[in-house]
Amino acid sequence: MTAGSNPGLAAGPAVGSAGVPAIEFESVSFAYPEGTLVLREVSLRIEPGESVAIVGQNGSGKSTLVRHLNGLLRPSSGRVLLDGRDTRPLHVARLAGVVGLAFQNPDRQLFAGRVSAEVAFGPRNLGIRGSELEGRVRAALEEVGLADDSATNPYDLGYSRRKLLALASVLAMQTPILILDEPTTGQDARGVARVREIVARVAGGGRTVIAISHDMRFVAESFRRVVVMREGRVVLDGPPGVVFGEASWPELRAANLEPPLPAVVGARLGLRATPTDATLVAALVAVRPGGEPDDPKRPAPSLGS
Amino acid sequence: MSIRLALEGAGYRYAGAAEPALRNVSLQLLAGRVLGVVGPNESGKSTLCLVAAGLAPGVIGGRLDGSVRIDGQATTTMRPHEMAQRCGLLFENAATQLSHMTRTVFEEVSLGPCNLGMPPAEVVARVRWALGVVGIEALAGRDPTRLSGGQSQLVALASVLALRPGCLILDEPTSELDPGGTRLVALALARIARETGVAIMVVEHKTDVLAEIADEIVVMDRGAVAVAGPAATVLADPRLADLGVDAPARVRLERAVKASRLDWSAALAGALE
Amino acid sequence: MAVSAEPGLLPEYVRRMPDGRYRGLNPVTRLALAAVAAIVAFGVRDWTGPVVVLGGVVLSGATAGVLRKMALFGLATIPLVASILLVNTFFYPNAHDIIARLGPLSPTWTGATAALQATLRVVAFGLSAALFALTTPMDDLLVELERRGLGRRGAFVVGSALGAIPRMAERAREVTDAQRARGLDTEGGPWRRFKGLVPLVGPVVLGALGEVEERTMALEARAFTAPGRPTLLRRLPDSNWQRAARWTLLTGSMGLAGASIAGLVRLP
Repeated sequence: MTAGSNPGLAAGPAVGSAGVPAIEFESVSFAYPEGTLVLREVSLRIEPGESVAIVGQNGSGKSTLVRHLNGLLRPSSGRVLLDGRDTRPLHVARLAGVVGLAFQNPDRQLFAGRVSAEVAFGPRNLGIRGSELEGRVRAALEEVGLADDSATNPYDLGYSRRKLLALASVLAMQTPILILDEPTTGQDARGVARVREIVARVAGGGRTVIAISHDMRFVAESFRRVVVMREGRVVLDGPPGVVFGEASWPELRAANLEPPLPAVVGARLGLRATPTDATLVAALVAVRPGGEPDDPKRPAPSLGS
Repeated sequence: MSIRLALEGAGYRYAGAAEPALRNVSLQLLAGRVLGVVGPNESGKSTLCLVAAGLAPGVIGGRLDGSVRIDGQATTTMRPHEMAQRCGLLFENAATQLSHMTRTVFEEVSLGPCNLGMPPAEVVARVRWALGVVGIEALAGRDPTRLSGGQSQLVALASVLALRPGCLILDEPTSELDPGGTRLVALALARIARETGVAIMVVEHKTDVLAEIADEIVVMDRGAVAVAGPAATVLADPRLADLGVDAPARVRLERAVKASRLDWSAALAGALE
Repeated sequence: MAVSAEPGLLPEYVRRMPDGRYRGLNPVTRLALAAVAAIVAFGVRDWTGPVVVLGGVVLSGATAGVLRKMALFGLATIPLVASILLVNTFFYPNAHDIIARLGPLSPTWTGATAALQATLRVVAFGLSAALFALTTPMDDLLVELERRGLGRRGAFVVGSALGAIPRMAERAREVTDAQRARGLDTEGGPWRRFKGLVPLVGPVVLGALGEVEERTMALEARAFTAPGRPTLLRRLPDSNWQRAARWTLLTGSMGLAGASIAGLVRLP
């Protein structure tokens, strides 16, 4: 994506060479008018092309934080920067061309009588027309597996497919930054796998993906970086291997979260932090080159506990 | 063990639908046991809940085949308030289930018994019992609209339990909750089954939760029961993956280690304890 | 008569016994007082009606300790009051006692007097409604009306409609956020704004309908439709003198207003 095809930023901050702006929260605090403090001096930098999962209890400030990226909320103090420029003067409709946000509840957005019209709504607002629009709609529907339903009424789809439709409607906007709020709730294993593929493809293409999720397996398997929030603050930030590693467990539990089971097993087996099924097995194999037990009767290495 | 609710060859077609949403389902809910229901999206799990609780066809119409019996009596012969005293039903969204007409959790939970016109002393006794079983006595004086997701779901659960139904049906009660809230609800369900003898059926995507609380599990696929049996057996069934259902983390790990041909299963078993 | 709980059975946070001279009155008595205030303020001609009501309402408000909040509600009547004052003062028909000539405008004493009187009526009524709303929790009123035979369904219709307002607002906000995040521009000319309404209204209405359906099912599951009278746990204090006062005041004020309108009674 080039800066030219990026209407939101055309009159706004300059864009990095790849067209994907770096994100910076600079000591951002946010309080609702009645005084509830939701974010407390959050500072966070996200480089172009990163894939970041934000986890934490309900009410810890995750959704509030991401709503600052497209201007739906503005900081009470501090600044939100895209490529070093303050986003405050930019209107939400402008920022929508840069930051795509798929909400948790699809029923808060579906209004069109046809699936294809719903998906076309976002890109049309960005000024996309004609064959380019058709192409984007088709591609987005294919990506979420709804290509055969383009003429269906959205409300005739089940909840999980409505949710995928809402995701497609944001994908079609092809924003440099994509934010997903709880993309896996209500999805079965196939749906989760599909979301995981989409995250991998978007991040693989150099765009930035940020997701809020309660699903620790999805988080560990799909993201390179995990940010843990508690009471409006960032309390842990790093690759899944570190955030789910044994040293972080007390902080995770304080945030009312459990590390994924493979991380626990890996730690107990004395392996370095290994948060996913695949990395656990890989680590086991690495400990014993070749993957074959050289002596099946030999006792396993002493356990971590 | 006594049968609280039994479906025999139950099929159901929504009003105006071409295809049945449920086909030939037979299952039983037993006193004090938890039956887990899993399956891919749109496989009939929610329909199963409505049918088992008598809302389909009782309240929403449609056509029922086969039989659904609660304590031996066909649900089609019962009126909604009679059903309510035999079988409680809970949906995923706790907020829509609260009445929004009461100022304290205590009064919210009292609504059901009050609707039945019970004497005040009996109402109060039931409210205290239900709050105790769910473990939320401490919330009794709180405003029901100002609770966390997990807490609201527990209030909804206590509200249904106050009618002292013999069975309880829950449709994805944790899907909108964070891990802490999920744990609260799962623990409460296990305790209710153990301490009150209520028969529980729970639809749940999170197989890790079912591995902890379910005694038996049925896997639904295209409106029919595809696999059924004791929880541990079903959750380790290799067909689960083909049906679009994730095995619990523990099962996946055991499998992965086995596939890597490392003979560390003993060590792994130790680590998993 | 519906069944009620013995005192001592209910925890204090459920009993919530009101105290104070005004707050201690039964909600139905307060409702009757608000009705009497409206009848007298608008029905009794000349100054007496509005002045008496205003005095009574301010006194009650002070007793209940909500005078400051009532004043805030009173501000809501400003647009209406302003228009009454302007229209009457400057355009009162057939009034000739002109105060001063201001170009084409000629304010009259008759008009100004009428305007002041009308203003007093509106403000007195507005403050009396505010007093009632500020001191009467909706569930207190519903429980008392239900005890007097308002059906459970009636109570549900009223209660849930009011209870749903904050959720409706919350949903509308979420829908607006979701569409703005997809680039919906809510600024611009009227046609553009009108077009922008479609994606906003649809999800709000559909969502509300879906929620009503789910809540109806959830309430069925709590024996909402059981026959017979439901138990009412709470009982708010009432007394024979309040009952008598309600009827006396209501009939008395209607009679007075009728007599005043018919010109049978002349008050200053």
